[in-house]
Amino acid sequence: MPPLLQAGNVSKHYGGVRALNQAHFTLRAGEVHALIGENGAGKSTLARILAGSTLADTASIAIDGHPAVIHNPLDAQRSGIGMIYQELDLFPNLTVGENLVIGNLHFREGRISVPRRIAAFCRPFLQRVGLACGVNDKVGGLPIGQQQLVAIARALSMDARILLMDEPTSSLFDDAADRLFGLIAELRSAGVAMVYVSHKMDEILRICDRATVLRDGQTIGTVETAATNVDELIRMMVGRDLKLTECTRAGRSQRGGAGEIVLAVEGLTTGKLRGVSFQLRRGEVLGVAGLVGAGRSELGAALFGMDRIRAGAIHARGAIGLLPEDRRLQGLMMSMSVLENSTMAVLPRFQRLGFIRAREEQRALEPLARNLALRCDSTAQPVGQLSGGNQQKVLLARWLLRDPDVLFLDDPTRGIDVAAKQDIYRIVDALAEAGKGVILVSSELPELLRCCDRILVLSGGRLTAIYDAMEATQEKIMAAATTPNSPEARC
Amino acid sequence: MALARALAKARSLAKAGGLAKAQSLAALAGIILLAILIGPTAADGSRIFLQIGNLTDILRQISLIGIMALAMTYVILTGGIDLSVGSILALSTSLVAMGLTRAGQTASYAWHIVLAMAAAVAASALVGTLNGVVIAATRMQPFIVTLAAMIGVRGLAKWLTDNQNIDIGFGRDVAAEFAAVFRQKAIVIGAYAAGAAVFWVVLARTVFGRHVRAIGDNEKAAEYAGLPIRRTKVWVYTLSGLLSGLAGVLYAAENHQGNPNAGVAYELDAIAAVVIGGTRLSGGKGGISGTIVGTLTIGVLTNMLRLNNVDSNVEMMIKAAIIVLAVAVQRDR
Repeated sequence: MPPLLQAGNVSKHYGGVRALNQAHFTLRAGEVHALIGENGAGKSTLARILAGSTLADTASIAIDGHPAVIHNPLDAQRSGIGMIYQELDLFPNLTVGENLVIGNLHFREGRISVPRRIAAFCRPFLQRVGLACGVNDKVGGLPIGQQQLVAIARALSMDARILLMDEPTSSLFDDAADRLFGLIAELRSAGVAMVYVSHKMDEILRICDRATVLRDGQTIGTVETAATNVDELIRMMVGRDLKLTECTRAGRSQRGGAGEIVLAVEGLTTGKLRGVSFQLRRGEVLGVAGLVGAGRSELGAALFGMDRIRAGAIHARGAIGLLPEDRRLQGLMMSMSVLENSTMAVLPRFQRLGFIRAREEQRALEPLARNLALRCDSTAQPVGQLSGGNQQKVLLARWLLRDPDVLFLDDPTRGIDVAAKQDIYRIVDALAEAGKGVILVSSELPELLRCCDRILVLSGGRLTAIYDAMEATQEKIMAAATTPNSPEARC
Repeated sequence: MALARALAKARSLAKAGGLAKAQSLAALAGIILLAILIGPTAADGSRIFLQIGNLTDILRQISLIGIMALAMTYVILTGGIDLSVGSILALSTSLVAMGLTRAGQTASYAWHIVLAMAAAVAASALVGTLNGVVIAATRMQPFIVTLAAMIGVRGLAKWLTDNQNIDIGFGRDVAAEFAAVFRQKAIVIGAYAAGAAVFWVVLARTVFGRHVRAIGDNEKAAEYAGLPIRRTKVWVYTLSGLLSGLAGVLYAAENHQGNPNAGVAYELDAIAAVVIGGTRLSGGKGGISGTIVGTLTIGVLTNMLRLNNVDSNVEMMIKAAIIVLAVAVQRDR
């Protein structure tokens, strides 16, 4: 029997950058198949080509052994392929029902939509994904996890037999992710084949049957997840040995929060935060955990002076640097160069009479770029061409040049590859060694447990717990993060 | 290996903007070639297009729009737009003519001329500052703010002059002296060349220039990086007003009058020059060299069509096509 989907000789280049180079990929009926690789390896590009949202330079695709032409999303829909994008492709101002029927070949109601018919069409699919919201709710008002379910229901209502998911858990916390995994198992037993693009090894080993590894746009190999382990997968991804489980906290305990207090926050209240108090010492890495919407990023905004403070006080000794959550929207100037982005916040340092002294500017970045293991063709390359991990390093370089006393890192490893994550852990370590106070926000609890001295947990804008990293566990943190948001909650 | 690295570097540089520049240069070269090939010949058989007199005429004709397009490039790089430049030019022509013809005599012609010009340019810069302050302080869209300024400043120029042209004579008075000096080709072209050089260097080499591009590329990120967004915007619109004022002074000299109805739709010509030069209308990408190429492209094209006696209405249609083509070719892909 031919495989459900077979793609061979898939190539795609963007300008001079080769995203895919004769990659190949085979999906069997009824399996959950992981597509993994470092950032820039080409996994998202491959998924987008199969979904028709990116046009390949070359690709031969066969479905059930028959050649298929997929040049646009409608072709993909006809072939039974649906995709759940990382940044969900929903219309936030339309209702759940309207989102399901728009562009849907299986909803043949002409140009005038009757709400009753839309509701009748949508109901079975919403039930299937376990979505409790109303058909007439605006999608933009739903939590991100439910929006994702809408996207899945939409793909199912388009009669998708193949579901492509690009980093579906990247913005979900563990409970929403668990619900998603349950749904994936159900769909799998109902005969839907799934391609699961992700960085997260534990998820892949838990829910996927097979995994295909891409590196530098080429297919390295496909393995049965039951017959492999994290270390082997990472070896295939990066082409060298690398311990994900390496614990940096060992060195940490020797330091033991010795430094003076660099940041003291007392009863901080903003539009989102409610009476948050904590202290940060030199040489300390303070983790911030919490569900999406718990106020983690808002804490950074308040510290950085971007949000209005309604009550409470912030006592900072020295400057505060903020590495924002969304490096694309809040961080980088994408068409400007690596060098220009790095020195952005310290430009006056290199000026004489307003003119930039180019050699000094270049010289300031060089040691830092080496230290960060920043990879680029030249420092004149636009940052838009770099992989996510290298973009994040450029942004880090901007703040390291600024040399603040307190650095607020908002989810710095989000969506970046394993090797770059290790680089960033190393830098966080070095910053603490150098006597900085570091605040590290993360959605990945193992990351917090690995990097931090203490972990502060937010829930609904309140501080619900502070743990010493030595006594903290994922279970304790989760419990504090889901503490009901009542005034009695302990602070 | 070294070759591969060099190639990769060349590619990334090309993507960084070199390619777009090469394309707009190629377009300009194409139009020049066309102008040479299809242009009429003089009695002695030489190409009229290539005569020094004609070439300098082109430069002189594009100088006013060219000067305004320099500052317009900065404005557009920050992600803004300035629709008021044509009206500011009219205000400036009116003010300089009023200063020359109606103000009392001062000690010397030279001082009188300098003061009249300075007043006109300073008032123009002030209008720009006002644009910038409103845009920076209220975060209203530059399109709307400068649209209002375009209407209001035109009104101001007409009100000041009673909607009358103020003629600058050909006699021996101070106004005539001013016109005689500042309508010379060398002065006009020199002003454009000097302005272009200064604006190119400032954009490429200074902290201010870097901030201009950074704000247009990603204003939110500029805010997080702590850049002086408001101050930069105020300066950019001030420069736009200032150069429009300078263009107005040159206009008054060239046309021997202060004209409150001058410069209608000049803002669109200036924007067209910037856009043809490859600067991205949403900001962050582009530069002065592109704008110069864009300005020259319009100038040469206009000259070529006029030498061939193309109807001026047809000329507009051809220009429209060129603008669309130029931008289509330079799009990011």
